[in-house]
Amino acid sequence: MRILRTFLDKQAPLFESGGKLEKLFPLWEATDTLLYSPSSVNKGTLHVRDGLDLKRMMGVVVFGLLPIVFMAMLNVGRQAHMAIAAGALPLDNWQTGLFQTMGFQFTNALWPNFVHGAIYFLPIFLTCFAAGGAVEVLFSTVRKHEINEGFFVTGFLLPLTLPPTIPLWQVALGTIFGVFIGKEIFGGTGMNILNPALVSRAFLFFAYPAQISGDAPWIAANFVGVDGFSGATWLSRAAAGGMDAINGLGADAWRQAFIGFIPGSMGETSTLLCIVGALVIVAAQIGSWRTIVGLTLGTFAMSFLLNQVGSDTNVMFSLPFHWHIVLGGWAFGTVFMATDPVSSSFTDKGKWIYGFMTGVLVVLVRVVNPAYPEGMMLAILFMNMFAPLIDHFVVQANIKRRAARHEAVQ
Amino acid sequence: MKQYSNAYIIGFAAGVCLICSIVVATSAVVLKERQDLNKVLDRQKKVLIVAGLMEEGQTITADEVQQIFDDNIRIRAIDLQTGDFDEDIDTVIYDQRKATKDLALSRVAPTNRAGITRLPLKALVYERFSGDEIELLILPIEGKGLWSTLYGFLALAPDTTTIEGMTFYEHGETPGLGGEIDNPRWKSLWKGRSAYDAQWQPAITVIKGAAGPAEDDPYRVDGLSGATLTCRGVSNLVQFWLSADGFEPFLAKFRGERSAV
Amino acid sequence: MKVAHKKALFDPLFNDNPIASQVLGICSALAVTTKLETSVVMSLAVIAVLALSNFSISVIRNFIPPSIRIIVQLTIIASLVIVTDQVLQAFVFDISKQLSVFVGLIITNCIVMGRAEAYAMQNPPVDSFLDGIGNGLGYSLILLIVGFFRELLGAGKLFGYSVMPLVTEGGWYQPNGLMVLAPGAFFLIGIFIWLLRNFKPELRET
Repeated sequence: MRILRTFLDKQAPLFESGGKLEKLFPLWEATDTLLYSPSSVNKGTLHVRDGLDLKRMMGVVVFGLLPIVFMAMLNVGRQAHMAIAAGALPLDNWQTGLFQTMGFQFTNALWPNFVHGAIYFLPIFLTCFAAGGAVEVLFSTVRKHEINEGFFVTGFLLPLTLPPTIPLWQVALGTIFGVFIGKEIFGGTGMNILNPALVSRAFLFFAYPAQISGDAPWIAANFVGVDGFSGATWLSRAAAGGMDAINGLGADAWRQAFIGFIPGSMGETSTLLCIVGALVIVAAQIGSWRTIVGLTLGTFAMSFLLNQVGSDTNVMFSLPFHWHIVLGGWAFGTVFMATDPVSSSFTDKGKWIYGFMTGVLVVLVRVVNPAYPEGMMLAILFMNMFAPLIDHFVVQANIKRRAARHEAVQ
Repeated sequence: MKQYSNAYIIGFAAGVCLICSIVVATSAVVLKERQDLNKVLDRQKKVLIVAGLMEEGQTITADEVQQIFDDNIRIRAIDLQTGDFDEDIDTVIYDQRKATKDLALSRVAPTNRAGITRLPLKALVYERFSGDEIELLILPIEGKGLWSTLYGFLALAPDTTTIEGMTFYEHGETPGLGGEIDNPRWKSLWKGRSAYDAQWQPAITVIKGAAGPAEDDPYRVDGLSGATLTCRGVSNLVQFWLSADGFEPFLAKFRGERSAV
Repeated sequence: MKVAHKKALFDPLFNDNPIASQVLGICSALAVTTKLETSVVMSLAVIAVLALSNFSISVIRNFIPPSIRIIVQLTIIASLVIVTDQVLQAFVFDISKQLSVFVGLIITNCIVMGRAEAYAMQNPPVDSFLDGIGNGLGYSLILLIVGFFRELLGAGKLFGYSVMPLVTEGGWYQPNGLMVLAPGAFFLIGIFIWLLRNFKPELRET
């Protein structure tokens, strides 16, 4: 190990200011700090309450996400194999070729499901990291910043919000757009006003709608012409057929949706595992429970209100709260997207308002907007923009209250 | 600063207004004829495209358009409710879309699923001729898609049920999803299918997913993926214009006359 | 050419671009730029209106009573816009239909009023005429850049001719739907402003 240390130290002058490869300092620094703790220490007196740095913060979120990653791989394979069992054909692509070369059959069992899913998930995941990493390195080099772990969580979150069949070049393009427009031009990690993963997804959603909406993308199998088989997400079935469509899914449907064995974006299906993830990030004080609870209350209030109002023409009005939270990206968005500490509100009171309004908007988009069955992404992005405003008013109110108290005492 | 008298200010304003109004009026009068001609040409081009006499995006001169149109197409005005021809209407200048908005020239539409609120009293139909034989009936259609009102034409064979073409020339649907109604491949799927079933009920429907070839599956057209609501709108509006509130009275009379001969 | 003339003509292209540094006239820049063809026609219309309005206002600038100068400018601009609209309807009907209300809305384009009030009222006719053309060109530059990318990326075409054949028509290019929507223009204009300010740091407000 000492050899490595000496090697790195020897290279240092090359990269430090004045060295030949001065421009590539961020790359060298990143390698160095990844392998060793930095030798530089703070100067002067500091009061550290907790050594929570970016690396640990990102690590906790990724830890909370891991079960969902495994679930994503399992479910992608499972959905494909169920479709194939119903008469669909495997997709004609290299993924299928690889799967068969590895000696697996299209059977709905644990290992084949997992491997088949991984063959779809991992390339998307790696593409996302490669593209996002490249943009990060580029900007760090130009700005002479050190490369930080800011992309790490985005790199995990984005693939989980995508359908398994999305073309890899779209993943790359979406990631580059999200990191560039969503984060870097605002000044990099911590300066962004929108959640970069959601910016990426929104870009893909509007730029290439055919690959990320409708019925086809969610299942990695060709089910065109298979009678009685639908690849639609349950949310869009609800949007088309209302509670009748939901009731037609069988008595066990809610439990299935809660556990997550339904078609959808790769990581969004399991509400159960999102709750586990919520416990992890709330316990580590990274995600705010206020946002999560506020969002849940908002969803409840709005869905309850619309249930009461009712509608003859719009079947989505009747979808109750307990279905809203297990369908689509509600749980995943609530736990991992809305709570993003950078793009949500900073103040405690602000988090309540921000969460509540996001919850209201999700239901509103899902129910009232005729075009998009899902509203989670749009609601969170919309409220991201209002988060600073909410904070501003919370702070102003606080100042006013304290000023009034001060005067009252005098 | 220089002081101006009130008389000067009023005089100046009047002068500017006078000059400006002369300029505007002159341009409007001088160019009027050309603009009217353009409007007529524009409509003729759209009809020629759906009649298969001209390619989309093809550039041909105004005279050629006029020529092809006059040689092949006859415009007839009909009374929508009775289906009779109305010879009193000057078909060259009659603007059906404008008439739909004119309270005197239209009526409130009966409840329908095509999102149509008013119907014109008189409608235009275009007939394509070859010699003395009518080859094609071209009917203007419109109705709500997802975001916007779609305007287009439906071309029927003289048996009034075989679809020869369908096209929308104006809409505001989502590019890539509903906007794919402009896709030439999708439009070509309509050709050869039947608008009416054996009982002369409007039957043609855009389904979800894929339909069979026209011979085996004559009443259904492939849906556009991710555009359920636009497709539903297209189904509804085509069926509306084929129904008794639309062109059915005219088409029924047309069939009657042909079988009588 | 005199230095002042050159300055009036070319400054608005980069140094003092009406859209990128003055952020005027954004609305129409979003609305008409889905195709290059409409962008070109709209550009010409704006150049014509700007140059002529600047010129005619400059000619009578010493006779306009200050109390009614805004309304006089507006009358002249409005008349020119109506004439332009009539000409477009008569000679390029297809495009004028696609431009719809946005030709009429040149009246409310802040660039036209802004130049009339800020420049033509103080400067002689020839300078004003050039200033009008220069600002029109500055506006056009953005319109053409945005129109170029939106049509190319959004539809794989330029001036209606297929450059990158689309997947739906048997080619290889998957069109980018975002470019056809108004936000696509926002992103492009934003990126353009960002680039311009990176290369010309003096444009940044601090």
